[in-house]
Amino acid sequence: MTAPGLRRLAAVLATLALPPAAVAQASAEGRVELAKALHAPVMNKRYGIVAHGGVLSPFPPVAVVYLEGPFPRPSTPPTAQMAQKDLMFMPWLLPVQAGSRVEFPNLDDTYHNIFSYSPAKRFDLGRYRSDERPIPSVLFDAPGLVTLRCDIHEHMRALILVLDTPYFVVSDAQGRYRLDGLPAGRYVLKAWLDSKTTLERPVLLQGGATLHADFP
Amino acid sequence: MSTDARTRMSSIARAIGAAAVCMMAPGGAALGQDDPLDRLDDRLTFGAWNDNLRARLSGTLDLEGYYLRQPAPGLIFSEGNEVFNPRLSLFLDAQVGTHVYAFVESRADNGFDPGEPGPPVRLDEYVLRFTPWDDGRFNLQIGKFATVVGNWSLRHGSWDNPFVTAPLAYENLTGVWDTTAARETSEELAWAGLRPAPTYGGEYLQEYHDVPIIWGPSYASGAAVFGEIGKVDYAFELKNTSLSSRPETWAPTETQWQHPTLSGRVGFLAGEMWNFGFSASAGTYLQPMAAPTLAPGKGFDQYLEVVMGQDVAFAWHHLQIWAEIYEARFEIPEVGNARTQTYYVEAKYKFTPQLFGALRWNQQLFSSLPTATGTARWGRNVERVDVGTGYRLTPHVEVKLQYSLEHQDANLQNWGDMLALQFTARF
Repeated sequence: MTAPGLRRLAAVLATLALPPAAVAQASAEGRVELAKALHAPVMNKRYGIVAHGGVLSPFPPVAVVYLEGPFPRPSTPPTAQMAQKDLMFMPWLLPVQAGSRVEFPNLDDTYHNIFSYSPAKRFDLGRYRSDERPIPSVLFDAPGLVTLRCDIHEHMRALILVLDTPYFVVSDAQGRYRLDGLPAGRYVLKAWLDSKTTLERPVLLQGGATLHADFP
Repeated sequence: MSTDARTRMSSIARAIGAAAVCMMAPGGAALGQDDPLDRLDDRLTFGAWNDNLRARLSGTLDLEGYYLRQPAPGLIFSEGNEVFNPRLSLFLDAQVGTHVYAFVESRADNGFDPGEPGPPVRLDEYVLRFTPWDDGRFNLQIGKFATVVGNWSLRHGSWDNPFVTAPLAYENLTGVWDTTAARETSEELAWAGLRPAPTYGGEYLQEYHDVPIIWGPSYASGAAVFGEIGKVDYAFELKNTSLSSRPETWAPTETQWQHPTLSGRVGFLAGEMWNFGFSASAGTYLQPMAAPTLAPGKGFDQYLEVVMGQDVAFAWHHLQIWAEIYEARFEIPEVGNARTQTYYVEAKYKFTPQLFGALRWNQQLFSSLPTATGTARWGRNVERVDVGTGYRLTPHVEVKLQYSLEHQDANLQNWGDMLALQFTARF
C-alpha cells in the first residue's frame, strides 16, 4: 500500500476508534502564508461599448484549507453559487464538496457565457440572461480544479476547487482560517494556494480542542 | 485538384496540425489543472500606482491555408491556387483609472490581406479613449480603429469570427477603382471585367485597383464618439478615408483630411437577445492620386461612396445569428451612380463545449449604368454560401475549417470554390 493509502487507512481506523461524541467537536485554526497578489485584470474593450467603469478589483490571494479524509459524499447534493456581477466572477475561488451543484446567476444586465474545458468538468452554459429560471447550474461530481471562463468577456476567470471532503474553508485576505465541527482523529490538513501549490501537514484532532496549524 | 496542389495543401494542413499539437502539449503536461497560457497572461499584466495604471500584453498567432480556384475570391491577392498566410498579432490594452483606456494592435504577416503587397510589420490599430461617465453614456476616442458601421467589425478578429473570411460586403471587390476616376461607362464596365480592358493588363492588376463596399474592418484614422443610453447605443466617426478605402490609405500620414468620411450607427438593444442597428456613411472613395483623372469641373466631393445599412444580431444559449444588409452608391460624375446591394445571414451553433458549426449565405447585386445603347449592369451578381466548423482544443487554441461555394453571373466561369483552414492560438 502506498504512503497516502496507509495514512488514509490510519485515519479511518482512528475515526472509527473514537466515541461518537468526540467525532464532531474538534477545531483547527492558523494562518497560511499567501501567494503574492496579482494585478487586477485589464478588460479588453477594443470594439464593444462597455457601460461600466474600467477598474476591476484585484483578485485577493486567499487559500483553501481542508481536511483530507475518507468522508462520505452527501446524500443530497449541496448547492453553492458563483455569480457574475460587474463583469467579474464572485467569488473568484469557490471550494465545494464533490457531488455539489453550483448555480451561476447572472447579475449583470448583459449576457455571459460560462464554460470550462477542465478535465474535472467540461461544460458550456451558452448565453443566458439574468432573469432566466432555473438559474443555470452544473453538478460537480469529480474532485479536481475547474477553471471557469466567459466566452464573451475574455478577462473573466474563476476557479472551483472540487474536494472530496465536507470540511473546508476559505482563508481571509491575511491568510487566517478556522475550521470548526471537525471529527476527531488523525488526518491530513491541507492548504491549497494555487494550481501548483498545496501545502499539507498531518494533524491529530482531539474532541473539544482547537488545533493550531500554520502553513508557512 | 492536381497532385502537386494536393501535396502542397496537405503540407499546409500538416503544418497547422503540428502547430495545434505543439500548443496543446503544455496544457496536457499540466493535466489541465490550469493553462500555462493563463500563467503567461498573469505575467504579461503590469500595474502601477495601486493598479490605477494597468497594461496587458496579449496576442494571437494565426496560421491560415487557402486552396482556391482562380480568380481568387475577395481580398486574397494571389495568382496561385494555394496561399499560406501566417500572422502574429500583438495587443496592448491599458487602463488608466476608470476614465482612460488605450489599446494598440501590431501585426506581422504577409500583408494586411493574404498575398497583398504591404509592409510585413504594421501598427494596424491604436486608440486613446476617454470615458467621462461610468455608465458609458459617452466615450470619445481618437486613433486608427475599426469602423463603427454594422456589426461584423465587432467579431472580425480571428478568435471571434466563426469563419476564416469576411462576408461579401467586406471583401467582394466591385468594379470601382480608387486610383482613377472612371470617365465613361465603358471604362467602368471594363474595370468590372464586363468589357475588354486592353490598356489595363491582366485580371490581377485590375483586382488590385478594385474596392469593395467596406474594406475588411476598415481601420482608417480619425475620431469617434459613442455610448449607450438605456436600450439605445450610438456611434459616430469622422475618418480620413471612406469605408471602401484600402489599407495603404488608412494611416493619417497617407491620406490627409481634406475629404473626410462621416459614418455612424444607431443601435437598439431589445433585451440581451436582440440588437438592431442602422448605419450610414458618406465620403470620397478616390485616393489623392486620382486627382488628374477627375471629370472637368468636378472635385473629390462629387466622387462619394454613400452607404446605408441595417444589421441585426440574435443570441440565445448556444445559437448566434447575425445579418446585415447594405446599399452602397458610388457616385461617378458623367457616368452615373453605380449602385450595389448586398446582404448576408450568418449563424453559429455550439454543438458541444468545444465544437461549433457555422453557416452563412451571402448575395450581392449590381444595378445598371447608362450606356450609349441603353443600360448595362456594372458588376457581376454574386451568391456565395460559406460552411464552417471550428474546434477549440483548449481555451486558447482553435482550429477552423471553411468551405465556400460561389456563383457569379459570368460568361465563362460561373462557379468558384475555396477551402480555408485556420489555426489560432490566443495568449
